[in-house]
Amino acid sequence: MTQDNLDRILSSDDVLEPSSGFAGNVMEAVRRQAAAPATPAFPWVRFALGLAASCGMAATGGLFVLRFQTELVAAFSPLAAVVPELGYAAAASLVGLAFISLPRLFSRD
Amino acid sequence: MREDDQDAADVARVIAGDLNAFEGIVLRWQCRLVTMAWRFCRDRAAAEDMAQEVLLKTFRSLATFRGESAFSTWITAIALNTCRSRLRAEGQPLLSLDPARVFRNESSSFREIDERERAEAVRRAVLTLPERYREAILLYYFEEKDLAESARVLGVPEGTLKARLHRGRELLRARCANLDPLAPDVVAVTEER
Repeated sequence: MTQDNLDRILSSDDVLEPSSGFAGNVMEAVRRQAAAPATPAFPWVRFALGLAASCGMAATGGLFVLRFQTELVAAFSPLAAVVPELGYAAAASLVGLAFISLPRLFSRD
Repeated sequence: MREDDQDAADVARVIAGDLNAFEGIVLRWQCRLVTMAWRFCRDRAAAEDMAQEVLLKTFRSLATFRGESAFSTWITAIALNTCRSRLRAEGQPLLSLDPARVFRNESSSFREIDERERAEAVRRAVLTLPERYREAILLYYFEEKDLAESARVLGVPEGTLKARLHRGRELLRARCANLDPLAPDVVAVTEER
């Protein structure tokens, strides 16, 4: 099969006429869709507020930990003496809980 | 009024709330969209179904059409994405294709296969190509060999499209080798009989 033959065959493919009721069916579907209630838009404002607050909280938390590292370690020292990682895990859990509750707070109606 | 202008006018009317104006778009585009979908699946019912989905998606997205590209480019790109998604989700249609196998079972010789059957086998063979070559070839011929417009719809540079067309045609020629009446395989099978 030559390149010219291929070209000729592919250029001469059929044009398909839609069946008689096609346009009517489409318009019916369009009208149904237009009549249906619109889906609620994504709450971008709340999302942005939540994101900004979460970022702010993370930054504040990070600064706090850096600044008061010694005091924090001292505060958790009784626990740390028993299990050294326990203090850090507890602190991480508390911070995590705070992060989880923040978006819920903003998304409440 | 040119078709592009009519489309633009109807789009503006639909956005303004005149739903009936969408009928103009449907009537102008239905044949092209059904034909395009047909070339992607070679099945009339599926083609009409896909074309309807394209028109509904177009209606839903009209508010986002900013006229940065021509309406024709925009709606053809929607059609391409719809066909692509459908075929990915449902798989390629079962094609009585593999021309060599199909025609080996025929009682008539290869020489008797008429031009129309051979052409249809070649068009179906396009559907067995890897997606990037298949889309390039289908769209290029659908757009009547307008390279620039095909590249815009596909969202690739013209050079990339040219390369895909070249590679796609090579693959197609290899797959359709048995359809050539003088191909060695054809002659061998004919002689066996």
